[in-house]
Amino acid sequence: MFRSLKKSLLATTLGAALALTGTAAQAEKFGIGTTATAEEIAGWDIDIRPDGKGLPKGQGTVAEGEGLYEQFCATCHGLFGEGEGRWPVLAGGQDTLTEERPTKTVGSYWPYASTLYDYIRRAMPFTAPRSLTDEQVYHITAYVLYLNEIVEDDFVLTQDNLAKIEMPNQEGFFVDPRPDVKNSRCMKNCADPDKLNIAGTLRGITPVGHFVEGADAPAASHEAQMEQEAMKEKTRKASLRGEEVAAGGHGGASALSEAALAGKSTYEGACKVCHGSGLTGSPKFGDTDAWEPRIKQGMAVMVKHAIKGFSGETGVMPPKGGRIDLSDKQVEDAVAYMVESSQ
Amino acid sequence: MSNIIKGPSTRELMEQLAAEAGQLSMRDRRDFLRKGVAAVGGMAATTIAGGAIAKEINTANLPPNEPAWGKQLGHGVVEHPYGHPSKFEKHVVRRTVPWLTADSIASISMTPLQDLKGIITPNGLVFERYHGGVPQIPMEEHRLIIHGLVERPIIFTMEDLMRFPSVSQIKFIECPANGGMEWKGAQMEALQFTHGMLSCCEWTGVPLKVLLEEAGVKPEGKWILAEGADGSHMSRSIPLEKALDDTLVVYAQNGEMLRPEQGYPLRLLNPGWEGNTSIKWLRRLEVGDKPWYHREETSKYTDLMPDGRARKFTFVQETNSVITSPCPENPITKSGFIEIEGIAWSGRGKIKQVDVSFDGGVTWVPANLKGLVLDKALTRFSLVTKWDGQPWLLQSRAIDETGYVQPTLKQLRDVRGGNSIYHKNSIHTWKVAPNGGITNVQIT
Repeated sequence: MFRSLKKSLLATTLGAALALTGTAAQAEKFGIGTTATAEEIAGWDIDIRPDGKGLPKGQGTVAEGEGLYEQFCATCHGLFGEGEGRWPVLAGGQDTLTEERPTKTVGSYWPYASTLYDYIRRAMPFTAPRSLTDEQVYHITAYVLYLNEIVEDDFVLTQDNLAKIEMPNQEGFFVDPRPDVKNSRCMKNCADPDKLNIAGTLRGITPVGHFVEGADAPAASHEAQMEQEAMKEKTRKASLRGEEVAAGGHGGASALSEAALAGKSTYEGACKVCHGSGLTGSPKFGDTDAWEPRIKQGMAVMVKHAIKGFSGETGVMPPKGGRIDLSDKQVEDAVAYMVESSQ
Repeated sequence: MSNIIKGPSTRELMEQLAAEAGQLSMRDRRDFLRKGVAAVGGMAATTIAGGAIAKEINTANLPPNEPAWGKQLGHGVVEHPYGHPSKFEKHVVRRTVPWLTADSIASISMTPLQDLKGIITPNGLVFERYHGGVPQIPMEEHRLIIHGLVERPIIFTMEDLMRFPSVSQIKFIECPANGGMEWKGAQMEALQFTHGMLSCCEWTGVPLKVLLEEAGVKPEGKWILAEGADGSHMSRSIPLEKALDDTLVVYAQNGEMLRPEQGYPLRLLNPGWEGNTSIKWLRRLEVGDKPWYHREETSKYTDLMPDGRARKFTFVQETNSVITSPCPENPITKSGFIEIEGIAWSGRGKIKQVDVSFDGGVTWVPANLKGLVLDKALTRFSLVTKWDGQPWLLQSRAIDETGYVQPTLKQLRDVRGGNSIYHKNSIHTWKVAPNGGITNVQIT
């Protein structure tokens, strides 16, 4: 009987079938899919909860975390968690949540320390997610907590004590109470026409203009914005030198060598995060002035610095930009791409 | 990288555009303004440099002459095995606001709502939101694991998932940050940027309820963690009630397999809820007894209130609407008859009514709903009237089937202040100038 019932159910719509079969316990199953083994699940089961469920065995220290943080995190998040460019600020911001411009950081906003471990292991470093060991994640988590003055410099973070850490803003969240406002369907005399205060994008409280005359209007894509900024910078420098700028920019894709063309995808996936915007003193893609002194050193030196890492006056190039999974050849090609596009 | 022609500064560009706009006939104004927007978008730099602003009309193609295309043959079948829009529609593209995010890999782009008709968003124009870029995943190598508090943990291949009886539903998807740039004031002179983190597709897949029944949820199971396979491994906690209600696990949109940008080969779809809960490149669903409080439900996607406390699990996208024609990109070009058109949507159900105001909300007139009126889908509204240069303050106000009336900005600000970032669904105002130009204003 059950079998014939199922046949008729399949003949009807799924919605109706579900309504008839009721709860999960009663439903006959389709028998589709393979039972997952404990080993298969373990490889992907990376989530951590506030109560510590999911944390792997291990521990980490603030001291060890400092070096790792500087190697993997500081490029974007700043040496003290202050954030470079528009990358997230990690530390500070305490007691700013009621201010006009609140600074939401791990210390000022995040309710649970477990989120930090989970997120670093899940998605960081940005250009090479899932590349850190569980122990490295403990070290870095400890260090970020230290940057936020939540733990002392001799703190040892472990599988057992992470869930016990009290975050400053732990009690700062409550469940969505919406609908929280009640408008009514008024049709006539709903407002006093003499008291309408009309604020446009040019006047009043507008912080930044967009498509507005006189405003520094941004482009509609990151690429175009970078080109716009590079062009502006070039023009500015040229005018300082008293030169006339007739044409500029980098050659089209057709002008690139085979190596450079091969390096483009590596650039997009690994290098662009910093070199696309000139983060932490890196020579910005397309900025001929920034690249010129480096290009003068020759390809061999540039490739060596890119592969082995380099600390200069203006910034730090981590070995392979932190992407140790890249082959030397890939890095070399990416350097060729950046160089040929920036001269 | 396109070649850079010596570009004028933004200011020069805008001055040039404004000067040339003054010399244009009303008929050309619309076309000009579109090009102006595209130029600022860095897309038509060569056109600007070449001085060709207004589109040249070749009168040889106008009646009574036989147009050129009627005197020759066009290309044959399969010239484009996968077709694309007319080359004359190149301005209809996704755009982003670069200063919003540090990089394009973890960023958002907007749908050109100003150019769309009906309620379906074409696949190539669905807004994008990535936290770690778009992964390229071969369908054969994609797996979905369901585990945790279940009787039988299961691994599904895509072939497995496509064996289940499928459902197709038209649902909108919206980023909770849609409109979020305007909490503190009007910023964007473009509908695409004020409301474009919004799309609506027909999605095909399997109800999550069916998959959960296949695994057998244990009685302690109350929450589900959904996780993506991309580099960000984006994760969100979703209450089991939603999962058993209308959540879908989808592999197709608008008749074809998902676009990579939309999660190919598999994504979650939580109808009516903030878009980020509809995890793309879905690889794992874990059933648990509590939420996980991951980064995207604590640090992000929580709504900060004036007292310094924050709302969590703000899932629903409340009732919203906006007028799409006219709008800054679609100024009024002719006096006389005009159809005011727009879209309305609610994360709580169907749209019941939309009203339009011409005087900034003092007086309201009912508009008509046209086409399909579906649960948690875009709904198009229309009001036919006349315009003869009146300085309108155009607004739309949607009401959904629960009776919720779209609020004013003041009502939202009074409760939420200006720092909650997400869920700004207030009545929007377009100011219509006597020359038909449209600007974005806020009425307080």
